[in-house]
Amino acid sequence: TKWAGSLPKYPPTNLALQHFDATYKLQLGREWPSVRASMLCEQKYGALVNNFATTEGFMAHLQSQGCQDFVSCTVREGAQERLQTAASTHGNTSSLESVVDDQDIVPSGLSPNIKCLVFPRGDISRFKPSRPDKYGLLGYYLMDAASILPALALDVQEGHTVLDLCAAPGGKALALLQTQAIRFLCVNDISASRTLRLRRVLDRYVPKGLLAGDKLRITSFDGRKWGEIERDTFDRVLVDVPCTTDRHSVMEEENNIFNRARTKERQRLPQLQLELLLAGIQAACPGGVVLYSTCSLSQLQNWYVVDRAIHLAREELGISLQVADLRPLTQLFKDTFNFAPDLNLGQLVLPHLTANFGPIYMCKLQRLN
Amino acid sequence: HNQASTPHQPTTLSQQQLQPGRELSLQALLDMGFTDTQADQMLEQATQGRAGQSEHATSTLMVLFVLGFKPSNVLKVLEKCPELFCVKGTHLEQRMDNLRRLGLLEGGLQRVVIHYPQILTLPLKRVNTVARFLKEKCAFTVQQVTDILRDCPAVVQYDLGQLEYKFQYAYFRLGVRQSEIVKSKLFRVPLDEVRGRHCFLERRGLYQTPDKKGQTLIVNPKLNDFLAVPEETYVTNVAMATQEEFEVFKKLMAREWLEYDDCQERDMVA
Ligand SMILES: C[S@@+](CC[C@H](N)C(=O)[O-])C[C@H]1O[C@@H](n2cnc3c(N)ncnc32)[C@H](O)[C@@H]1O
Repeated sequence: TKWAGSLPKYPPTNLALQHFDATYKLQLGREWPSVRASMLCEQKYGALVNNFATTEGFMAHLQSQGCQDFVSCTVREGAQERLQTAASTHGNTSSLESVVDDQDIVPSGLSPNIKCLVFPRGDISRFKPSRPDKYGLLGYYLMDAASILPALALDVQEGHTVLDLCAAPGGKALALLQTQAIRFLCVNDISASRTLRLRRVLDRYVPKGLLAGDKLRITSFDGRKWGEIERDTFDRVLVDVPCTTDRHSVMEEENNIFNRARTKERQRLPQLQLELLLAGIQAACPGGVVLYSTCSLSQLQNWYVVDRAIHLAREELGISLQVADLRPLTQLFKDTFNFAPDLNLGQLVLPHLTANFGPIYMCKLQRLN
Repeated sequence: HNQASTPHQPTTLSQQQLQPGRELSLQALLDMGFTDTQADQMLEQATQGRAGQSEHATSTLMVLFVLGFKPSNVLKVLEKCPELFCVKGTHLEQRMDNLRRLGLLEGGLQRVVIHYPQILTLPLKRVNTVARFLKEKCAFTVQQVTDILRDCPAVVQYDLGQLEYKFQYAYFRLGVRQSEIVKSKLFRVPLDEVRGRHCFLERRGLYQTPDKKGQTLIVNPKLNDFLAVPEETYVTNVAMATQEEFEVFKKLMAREWLEYDDCQERDMVA
């Protein structure tokens, strides 16, 4: 048509940048230039340690290069700080024992088994690809270290049943499996090809015995339908939705959602996200926890979706939800990640050149009835 | 009272003292008006690298005096560039005449020699090639070429390929005209620094390459304002970032460019 011909042939990465300049400048104000430059520079990875493989060799090697497990080292330091404040407020050491109990050392919900190595702030070293151990299992999985946070925040406890509604390629599912606390894990992704990739990832990291049918199920359903299939079931539900994948959209032309041909699909994302979250809420059992996450900075895809979902769950499904406070978590990891200040719903990791992780948004909801 | 610092009057320069072919002696230097300390320093300079035995040493001094330099400036020039001791006096004169022809008149010429005496060690051909290159390949006017030579005399020693790359980077990537390039003293700034400062602004959304009509959606800072200032000023006032961010950015850029160049090389081999 006449119109198509006159459309300028801008590469999708440019369109994404233009779009972000227009929306995020308003949303992030003075922070935007920093975030923008960070997303246009090489991102930083974290190495999710695979407890099922032999880890001593590479752990020692990476630690000698300056890497640290940001989860355990911050938890340890946090506990130490609490110890010190306890000691100073109580003035003597004898009262320490009464102040420090187990809960104080490991904040509730942080699995001690999820470990993720990162290079220190400002260090731009890269990880080498992981090599298989003598059983053929890979020692670590490289991913955005901020992607570990939703898995940590989900707070998996011993004996839980867990649903990962949009699971491929499987980074977060793998982090969840590291807890070794899950009784049954259901991983789902609508895309058959991506589910295949997910299966390959699990095969390369997890011993066969743990992938047996009574412990793990891999499916390729439309997640939006989950509420109709299996309600009020799971202790924990992760809803890691498809989004504008901001970092990918400004860097890679291929498979870019800002491609003109995909405009409709992009505009429908918030609706899809809302439906997925509502399905996840329905799949959770009363008292269960749902964690919503994206890798976008967009308010429309983040708090707006959560806000709508809370409203609709109450009005149309009769489900009351409570928003969990994630500030203790962000407080704990503030040296590793750059969190956006004062979000009224959920938490957001902002990319920063000295800690180039994210963007990752997450919001934790507890189902009350 | 310190004898050594008493200046001698340079008025007694006789033909004999400045006769070419004579080795430098302390007495000759004192006669030329150098103080004791200056004369010592000069001799030390001259003997390093055996320049003092050069038959041209005295004529070099003469030419510099004729250019109007005080003894202290002559010393400064030769400390910066002891190679000048070994250049023939007639060559020095030809080279200075050539610089005058390129527009560097008195004042300008002295400035260039004192800041960048190496320019007098280069054959005429080299200097003229660079001047012609700036005029023909980069379309600078004669006056602009003179300004570049005066502000950044070291261009005469640059590799022409790199010079062209830097010019094209400024002209096409930054979208600035020749006049602004001259004003910004672009050629004084190493290429990595130009690219680093520009790309940092660009990725922060504070600089845009103008389109074919020369238009941008934002107002770009002037080249002069982000290149010709100290890094700290640039980071806080122009990029509005932290030093920490810029440090990491420079490390990332260095790696990006290295890998980009590697790619290009591989493509060329393939
Ligand atoms: C952000 S990715 C998930 C990343 C994954 N959680 C990880 O950590 O590796 C979103 C996924 O949602 C899937 N998806 C899109 N629409 C879906 C739907 N209606 N139901 C289920 N999954 C869907 C996509 O195929 C994509 O793999």
